[in-house]
Amino acid sequence: MPPQEDDAAENVRMIRDSTRAVVAADGDLSRIRAQRFQQSGFDPAIFATMAEMGWLTLRLPEQAAGLGLGMAEYCALTEELGAGLVPEPLIGAALAHRMTGADLAEAGICVAAWQDDANSLGWRKLRIDGGRITGTKRFIPDATGADSFAVATAGGVAIVAKDASGVRLDSEWTQDGCSLGTLDMTGAAPLAVHAADAVDDALDEATLATASYLFGLSGRVFAMTIDYLKTRRQFGQPIGSFQALQHRATDVKIQLELARASIASAAATLDAGAARAARSAAVSRAKCRANDTALLVARETIQMHGAIGFTDEYDAGLFVRKAMTLCNRFGSSAVHRRRFAALLKEAA
Amino acid sequence: MTFAPSEDLRDMPDDEFRMLVRRFAEENYPKDMPRHSQRRLHWREVKPWYLALSRRGWLCPNWPREHGGMGLSAAKQLIMIEEFGRHGCARVNDIGIVMLGPLLIHHGSEQQKAHFLPKILSGEHIWAQGYSEPNAGSDLAAVRTEAVLDGDEWVINGQKTWATLGNDANWIFILARTDKTVKKQAGISFLLVPMDAPGVTVRPIENLELFDEFSEIFFDNVRIPKGNLVGEVNGGWTIAKALLGHERVFIGAPRLSANALAQLRALAERTGVAGDPAFEDRFVRLKLDLDDLAALFESYVEKLRRGETIGADVSILKIFQSELFQRISEEMLQVAGETAGLREPLDGDARLHAAGAYLMARPTTIFGGSSEIMRNVLAKAVLGLPN
Repeated sequence: MPPQEDDAAENVRMIRDSTRAVVAADGDLSRIRAQRFQQSGFDPAIFATMAEMGWLTLRLPEQAAGLGLGMAEYCALTEELGAGLVPEPLIGAALAHRMTGADLAEAGICVAAWQDDANSLGWRKLRIDGGRITGTKRFIPDATGADSFAVATAGGVAIVAKDASGVRLDSEWTQDGCSLGTLDMTGAAPLAVHAADAVDDALDEATLATASYLFGLSGRVFAMTIDYLKTRRQFGQPIGSFQALQHRATDVKIQLELARASIASAAATLDAGAARAARSAAVSRAKCRANDTALLVARETIQMHGAIGFTDEYDAGLFVRKAMTLCNRFGSSAVHRRRFAALLKEAA
Repeated sequence: MTFAPSEDLRDMPDDEFRMLVRRFAEENYPKDMPRHSQRRLHWREVKPWYLALSRRGWLCPNWPREHGGMGLSAAKQLIMIEEFGRHGCARVNDIGIVMLGPLLIHHGSEQQKAHFLPKILSGEHIWAQGYSEPNAGSDLAAVRTEAVLDGDEWVINGQKTWATLGNDANWIFILARTDKTVKKQAGISFLLVPMDAPGVTVRPIENLELFDEFSEIFFDNVRIPKGNLVGEVNGGWTIAKALLGHERVFIGAPRLSANALAQLRALAERTGVAGDPAFEDRFVRLKLDLDDLAALFESYVEKLRRGETIGADVSILKIFQSELFQRISEEMLQVAGETAGLREPLDGDARLHAAGAYLMARPTTIFGGSSEIMRNVLAKAVLGLPN
């Protein structure tokens, strides 16, 4: 094995180990459950731990005080976070850092505000006029608990403080107990403005990291479902002995393995520095697979559990509700199929 | 006939190896042989290509060099498959190469290896596989073809079926019942039978492609030497199962689906369906499935490259590949419109032959373990679900 491959594998192992700081080793989800619909929907102390470990700048080069890690490592990290349903806005904060290429520590908890419209990956509608911004950014995850926003505009990425004059934030709870914010700016003056050249790459990376989070949660809830099939007895035998359920469980497993391979190959494509179109196509493909797999797992989880799967007290629902919110984040399958098709046409 | 070891290509860089294989196919694939044929060719049609590979020492990339093979890594074997596929080279009668050779190398006696392996390499022996029977398909261990020892000979009675290109073969290996008193898997032996032995009858069967791809083979008091047993008496099931290793990975290669998707695109352009948003969305879904299959396949090839063992989960590749191939071929049938019903290819172009692709895709979910049996295996061996 070439040395760099060895290093990457070692990095992935280390980053997986490091997630024990924020994911309960025994898989306990009581913190996640208790956090739902409370305050900002996440725990600032745990977010601070993530920042201390350098995760917010993991995609920045070491010269820029980042960890200089690849997408293979980033995806390993979010997969573990997904398996633990960790609600803290790592992806949004890492995206803010990656878009700006800067250390944003002075801006407090800073998350990305990039999205212009539903059902689109567009981010270029707003402009910066005379050093000020007027307009709206929508669907900002975990905005309530943030101190500032990295606002992507055609004229640069502006860091806007939540309490600045001309800034208004509205927030709504999401199915998973977190929130989505709408940021209205009227002549808001940014704390700083960074070049916008990295936004497209940064968004692709956040999309892939989200796909991996979805894969992590899908794998965990599928394992719960398999356990249930082995232990739940009806007609005098474990329901997992019935061929109809075995075959459907196998179909889920097939999709999970495709998702694993899809995400890994997209990460490798990004890490290898492939051409822009190839990178985006790989990311769209992985997000489609992760979305569709998460929704398949969600459906089968509830169905195979029966009525208990439809109760809030049973943990499976936490995974289902997270899948419901994340399958549209950074683009639904329909959005990504459309982008993939356009890239395919471009390549032909 | 003896074989000088072929040139040692094991350490050649993969890119260079690929170009070597490409050039070899271009220069040595007989000009008068069909390329990109949708059906298998019979021995009389494919023999020149078999012999060309044999002369170069390239017939058995998977065998160790000391037995006349190339001793290639899985990755290099894949390159050969890809490059031969790219040129449209016909698949040769390869049951001896892919199935029997590796089995004899692992389980055969020295005598058996010395006798049989060179005859596969020379094309003197063309093998058929005698596993399935009319009442032993998915439940293969239920075989009833019986072999009884009489002095120094086995006496065989029974019937095998679905022997691919069985009418081309002059030898057949069979699973035969040698003990009826034990658990069904424990009473099966692995025997080698010359098809010109008295009492062997072959009846070809036409498949839905109107091609005599299969044969039924009848055994009526067929006598073979005692030494034609491979492995132990009643040990046949174990060695037959042990064969399913690397081959499982290659069955899941995305090549069939990739070819079919290229055909679908060509057909859609030809019939004017291309550009229709509903079609394009269906096409993109298939393309995404194909690319993810390729990614999954690559991850298995990578495991082989690192020398890792392949677990039962490899069946995922086979299930998904074969079912995707079917879905693509069904889309072709739809896109072709009424022309799909024509017996001959549209414009005489095999690439536009929706019906051909549709029929060709049917058996892929059946042979080599049906999708249902594969799902049973995955459920138990990989997911650990109870019986």
